Amino acid sequence: MSEIFRLEDVSFTHPGGTRKVLNNMNLTIEEGSRNAILGANGAGKTTLFYTLTGVYKPQEGTVYDHGAPIEYTKDGLRNLRSDVAVILQNPDEQIFCSLVEEDVAFGPLNLGLDKEETAQRVAKALRDVRMTPFARRPLQQLSGGQRKRVAIAGALAMNPKIMIMDEPTAGLDPQASMEVMELAEKLHLQGVTVLISTHDIDIIYKWADTSDIICDGRIEYSGPAEGFYSDPETVYRCGLLTPSMFNMNRDICALDGMDPAPYPRNSCEFTAKFGNPKKSGRIICVGAEEEDAPAKYEEVMKDLSGVQTGVYGSDVRYALTDKNIDIQFDAMDMCFTGAVEGKDSVLFYDAIYAPTIKEQADRLRKIGFDVDMEVI
Amino acid sequence: MATLLEADNVVFSYDKKGPKVMDGMCIKIEEGKKTAVMGCNGAGKSTLFSILNALREPDKGKVLFRGKPLTYKHKDIIKMRSDVSILFQNPNDMMFKPYVEQDVAFGPENLKLPKDEVETRVQESLFAVGMEDFRKTPIMKLSYGQRKRVTLAGVLAMRPSVIIMDEPTAGLDPQMAYEVMEIAEQLHSSGTTVIMASHDTDLTYSWADELRVLYGGKCMYAGEPEPFYADYESVQKAGLLLPTVYLTNKTLADLGRGTLEPYPRAQSQMALKTAQHKDVNLGVLHVIKADRDTDVNAIIEDYDLGGLSKGVYGMSARIAARAGSTPIDFKYNGPENCTMKCLDGKDSVLICDPIMFDKAVSSAMFINDHGFGKINIDVV
Repeated sequence: MSEIFRLEDVSFTHPGGTRKVLNNMNLTIEEGSRNAILGANGAGKTTLFYTLTGVYKPQEGTVYDHGAPIEYTKDGLRNLRSDVAVILQNPDEQIFCSLVEEDVAFGPLNLGLDKEETAQRVAKALRDVRMTPFARRPLQQLSGGQRKRVAIAGALAMNPKIMIMDEPTAGLDPQASMEVMELAEKLHLQGVTVLISTHDIDIIYKWADTSDIICDGRIEYSGPAEGFYSDPETVYRCGLLTPSMFNMNRDICALDGMDPAPYPRNSCEFTAKFGNPKKSGRIICVGAEEEDAPAKYEEVMKDLSGVQTGVYGSDVRYALTDKNIDIQFDAMDMCFTGAVEGKDSVLFYDAIYAPTIKEQADRLRKIGFDVDMEVI
Repeated sequence: MATLLEADNVVFSYDKKGPKVMDGMCIKIEEGKKTAVMGCNGAGKSTLFSILNALREPDKGKVLFRGKPLTYKHKDIIKMRSDVSILFQNPNDMMFKPYVEQDVAFGPENLKLPKDEVETRVQESLFAVGMEDFRKTPIMKLSYGQRKRVTLAGVLAMRPSVIIMDEPTAGLDPQMAYEVMEIAEQLHSSGTTVIMASHDTDLTYSWADELRVLYGGKCMYAGEPEPFYADYESVQKAGLLLPTVYLTNKTLADLGRGTLEPYPRAQSQMALKTAQHKDVNLGVLHVIKADRDTDVNAIIEDYDLGGLSKGVYGMSARIAARAGSTPIDFKYNGPENCTMKCLDGKDSVLICDPIMFDKAVSSAMFINDHGFGKINIDVV
């Protein structure tokens, strides 16, 4: 993998301030990686994001974008920002227009896209966040969670190469949070580099490959999450917590004299590791596009009536709204957990997620559970 | 227990042509119980809260406090708002004054309390939220998390019988989130009825006695959490997910590793229930019940506990530990951190507010009572 961003000895102080909010920070973000940016409030996460988008120019050190130092000129910044989309923690800070669809169109129109292309992107983005029925609504009539989804749609419509999400799930209900994580995963599979900052350590532990821990304006740790969480004193000093999966795994393994690795990160991996599962239930994996999903559903379910069904991904969820689906959200983990229990299921997913499904099966195999899976 | 607060068949819409946000809402809140209110975005949680403290009047139906229907006369409304306080999700919605101390004093002053009573309440409330050093600071200069604490102090200063916390941990880092949960527990222990709305299924599952689930302007479930989570179809309809501990416990039980009950609610409980070796030596949990004027350092010295990891939990314990500058390893999430030390085979010391003792040792008791292990609890 090649680097997309690199910070070299970067320090930043707010004008008129005395404290270095970023204090000699060194960080490399690899292209196409799944990144968690973690730290206590005030550690410097948001400042880092503004530095990566060129809003803040550090007083010391250099920020490299694709190997070249960021140029703080009008053209340089426009180039940078056409690649990077940011979803701010507070959606009200990035709402520009009064109507939902106008607001989502704001970015693409600013990129100089024509009306037709913009309209297509807006429609797709609104559907991905389940806000299509609200397209013509004034933003001020929406709830906080709904405004958050509009802000996410606005970022999606930019088709960015790098997506920075600052607390994307704060204030969203659990299902909406799952949808956001599905979207983040989809962006990752499309080749987008995704950076997520969040206080929801349990959600992010399931998803991220790399955790970058910020403490007092410096990078305290950068690498797989377990390397950081294995050092409880540092975790505590950084004002963070360890994910519940990590804690439970560590305690059980210590008590039973087992190796903590491989580390379970979600429910199916945890139950596979500790439940002594016998025969795997079968998961029929059906990758589909929006257009052919209903037909595939009918064909597959013809012989499988009564088997538990789940959907993963916004296209398939949308296409199968009027079908009988048992698990609408978090279906991948739920179906694999079912398989651990010996229960069969059919998992319909947006075709793009095929590598994610395979990755899940591989992780279970590493734990010693050979999942019975058929890909259609 | 007695019903403290009740919405009886409430119907409400924000404008006459608009949708009914409350559509036959019936909900009862029991006195002294920890009640979690859950539901998807737009289910009507915030609207319900504003109706429960008389900020809004229902179009139909009634609200009862201690069995008496609200009349919406000015005097009644003022009384109701001092009995039932809301901590709103966004602190900026409830900041009234330019300086911290003025803002916290605002509510008590409105209650026409004597000056020195207002002063005591401001002092104690700011201490409870860890903002006593910011008394004279302009609100404008505070971060989001700090503002959230100040608004919480403002609510505490009202000494209400019911506190409604709307997403109290949203946007807070884990440390602050635990501080808020500790304050919620403190309020509960001192007799306040606490209602909490949160989207964090894991957090509410570890906290709540009672669950109320809202859907489509109605209350679709009222009772203990487990029967609700056992009905996956309803969970999904309500826009929720299963708590991790609930799901993993259930799956392991289905696989024959352990039984479904007792239901673990916290990580340490789940870990001990799952581990097969129940005879491993666990550490001792030394508990110091500390009043405000307890000399914590003297106790630590007398019982030779100096070398152990120490956690603190609850207001009086914090005051005592601070007065003696006692070194504390776990300033937040004390009970769970100390219990985890014991799981690790190491002894630990928990300095705790006497009224919060039961909660402080609840995980250790769960483990002991069900034979999942033995953590000796030594009350010093």
